[in-house]
Amino acid sequence: MLRVFRNRPYLLYLTRKAFWYLVAFVAAVALNFFLPRLIPGNPVSVIVGQMSAGAVESATLERLYTAFMRDFGLDQPLHVQFWTYLTGVLQGDLGTSFMLYPSKVWDVIRQALPWTVALQVPAILVGWIVGNVLGALAAYKGGTFDRFAFTGSLMLSSIPYFCLAIIFVYAFAVHWPLFPASGGYSFGYFPEWSWAFFVDALYHYALPFLSLVLVAIGGQAIGMREMAIYELNTDYVNYAKKLGVSDRRVVRYVFRNAMLPQITGLAISFGTLIGGALVTEAVFSYPGLGSLLFTAIRQVDYPMIQGITLIITLTVLLANFLVDIAYGFIDPRIRAGQVGER
Amino acid sequence: MQSKRHARHTILVMVLALAALVVAGFAQAQPLPRNETVYKAGMQWGPPPGFNPFMSGDRWPVTQPANDGHLIYEPLFAYNLLSGDLDPVLARSIEWVDDLTAHVTLFDGTHWQDGLPLTVEDVVYTYDLVERYDTPHAAVWDYLESVTVVDDRTVAFTLDAARPHRAMVLHELTMVRIVPKHVWEILELDVDTILEIENWEPVGSGPYTLLRHSPEQVAVERFDDYWGSEVHGVPAPRYIVHPIFRSNDAGNLALERNQVDWSQQFVPEIWRMWEDRGLPVGTWFDDEPYFLPAGIPSLFINLQRDGLNEPLVRRALAFAIDYPSIAETAMSRYSPAAQSSMIVPVGVAEQRFFNEEDVAEHGWRYDPEEAVRILEEELGASKGNDGIYVLPDGTRLGPWVAHCPFGWTDWMTALEIVSESARAVGIDVRTEFPEAPVSHDRRYTGNFDLTLWTPEGGQSPAHPWIRFHHVMDNRGVADIGGIAFRNWNRYQNDEAEVLLDAAALTEDEAELAEIYRQLDRIFMRDIPMIGLMYRPWQFYSFNETYWTNFPTENNPYAPPMHGHTGMQIYLNLQPVER
Repeated sequence: MLRVFRNRPYLLYLTRKAFWYLVAFVAAVALNFFLPRLIPGNPVSVIVGQMSAGAVESATLERLYTAFMRDFGLDQPLHVQFWTYLTGVLQGDLGTSFMLYPSKVWDVIRQALPWTVALQVPAILVGWIVGNVLGALAAYKGGTFDRFAFTGSLMLSSIPYFCLAIIFVYAFAVHWPLFPASGGYSFGYFPEWSWAFFVDALYHYALPFLSLVLVAIGGQAIGMREMAIYELNTDYVNYAKKLGVSDRRVVRYVFRNAMLPQITGLAISFGTLIGGALVTEAVFSYPGLGSLLFTAIRQVDYPMIQGITLIITLTVLLANFLVDIAYGFIDPRIRAGQVGER
Repeated sequence: MQSKRHARHTILVMVLALAALVVAGFAQAQPLPRNETVYKAGMQWGPPPGFNPFMSGDRWPVTQPANDGHLIYEPLFAYNLLSGDLDPVLARSIEWVDDLTAHVTLFDGTHWQDGLPLTVEDVVYTYDLVERYDTPHAAVWDYLESVTVVDDRTVAFTLDAARPHRAMVLHELTMVRIVPKHVWEILELDVDTILEIENWEPVGSGPYTLLRHSPEQVAVERFDDYWGSEVHGVPAPRYIVHPIFRSNDAGNLALERNQVDWSQQFVPEIWRMWEDRGLPVGTWFDDEPYFLPAGIPSLFINLQRDGLNEPLVRRALAFAIDYPSIAETAMSRYSPAAQSSMIVPVGVAEQRFFNEEDVAEHGWRYDPEEAVRILEEELGASKGNDGIYVLPDGTRLGPWVAHCPFGWTDWMTALEIVSESARAVGIDVRTEFPEAPVSHDRRYTGNFDLTLWTPEGGQSPAHPWIRFHHVMDNRGVADIGGIAFRNWNRYQNDEAEVLLDAAALTEDEAELAEIYRQLDRIFMRDIPMIGLMYRPWQFYSFNETYWTNFPTENNPYAPPMHGHTGMQIYLNLQPVER
């Protein structure tokens, strides 16, 4: 073992983790590049085909076709394209979109990202907090409260989140038009720092947010309830109870121990932040990365698909890495494990 | 404990103070006034990738003249869908001074939105730009020799003596929007091709300027110093906004809820909006087919496949297809039953060339018994145990796959009907619906049995010539396996090519009628494709809750279009008093 790590188990732990995350990242970047290219269909012939409306002579279109193939680098061998992509990514350049040519991929993503984050982050956090508290309470209280909370959660969590979204749109936007059926804000408004816009955006936000948060609450509550029930029957709890430790304190112990797997769950939720919003955004016609990715796949826009999946990859890895760091702090057993062989 | 509680209070106070600050900082912004704004739908489906009028793809309102394409940039002329004429926009007139030369005269006082005058130099520069950079409209130079200044208001368009084609040049005069030389001269310095220019701050000559844009909507505002205020008039709406819907359903719901005033989207069974729900929604006709037919979505047949290479087999297939059912079911009654001609028989200017007698004598219609007769008597085919005919040489009629892009539901239904009615007769046609890029690729490379597409779906001064050219002219088309953008089955016929060239040279109505008649008869004899239905160029529907006086069949002051001469609709709309 290297000298620097001696007596610094936490540093060793972090370094090892960081190394594996780097490996995962490189593998993911390669997949991001090669997977979209497996989608059948030639992106350039689609673009040039669009231009052909209006009787352009084939000779002109062939010149355009060649020009686009060259511009997009698609006439190069695959390994050259990969190298161009890699060097681009390392310099922060995600390339030019095919379907939105000549827009830069990052410029398009930059405008869509805030919507997805603003929809998902609060939904995940609120769902996680409310769900965990509900689950712990259900486990602790038992009885009627548990029966209602458990059944309710089970029901909510077993509905696919997009089904709930479709039901919400139909019920509260189409059948009883209480909420808008689509969009992030009303037509005629433009995103700006104004009270009227804020209220309007919030009004559009309500349904997609609820459809996500309810499902999240259900899932988290069930997980927490199971963990808490398990912890409630462990020896240390029985022992503490026998010792006459106050209920409050016991619940706190139980809660803390049951939390550990739930934190992983939170990290995973954050990881699926962008992918998870895809269908919700589509159902509510809500602005964001999800709808963008959806269109990009259908139009075989390699750079756009790569750009968005790169961001998804980064969020997944980052979320998990942060959890690993947090674990190191929270759980002494993990730190100890790193130097355990000695 | 005491200190913890204290800390909590402090945090609470701070949060409240911050919230108060944020609220106080908010400006009292209002949305655009509803009674001064027209909302549109159906022409922009993704974030705008800039406002370059030379690029294709969704760039409302600069994409193409038909899609509000005169709001910011203007062409010389507008195409009138109803009359087939060129209506003036920047140019007041066109005059042929000899066989090859047209003099186009600009209106006096034309100027750009930045105040500088719009001159003949701008026109010459724009056409030069179009050629130098291989833009989609470089096609105009296939027929042009030069564009030159005659005097300070007149430009001469000289046709290429080797390949003169007035109609195609007229077509492009309506398509190419003139850009300011003083702006684009500088823009083009930094790029390899002008197609790379995003052009976020378009400076045009039109009656509107870009107000704001986001990935969710694009808005334009009336330009009150418009040069054409006296010549053309002042448009009624102060703002025009195109919200960007992510699905057809969202846009259709918005039309129903009068959040959209004027839509270019396909709305299934639109008549239910006024018949069942009493909404103030309308289309061009109050009754079937509701929209003006303009294009012919057609089944292109691979002429090399065994079986399909036999014209009589294609003829039997043509008799087998249930056209009335396609019009009724797949096209939501928005199309009359397709007839066996390459000319649209109703509504648009080209209908004058439609020859009913020829169609009756040489064409086809839904008649399964006739299909069976051709197969059995003329071809001597016999039915196999599986109910599918086999030719005397042992060729089984199918399986042949008919395909169109997935998600194009009206077309998917149409192909299902083709498949069903062909199998009912004894021809094995199946369907497949790949994603659009795959479908396009197969069509371009000729790798299909049967594929559905609309040859030249719009209308222009060059119709129906351009449609015949698309289907029957094999010159300049890549061989099977290469990429072709028209004549996908590589149909080749010298006689048709001679007729096409003759049609390009004449403007004599009687002569044209005779040429198109002959071309149509060749088409009915060789059957390189089968028209399945008619499709409007644009779906023109409106909701009159906030704006009235949209033109209809009974009030036809402008054609049912979102662009070209349809621009006049903006001049005539009236806000509803409330």
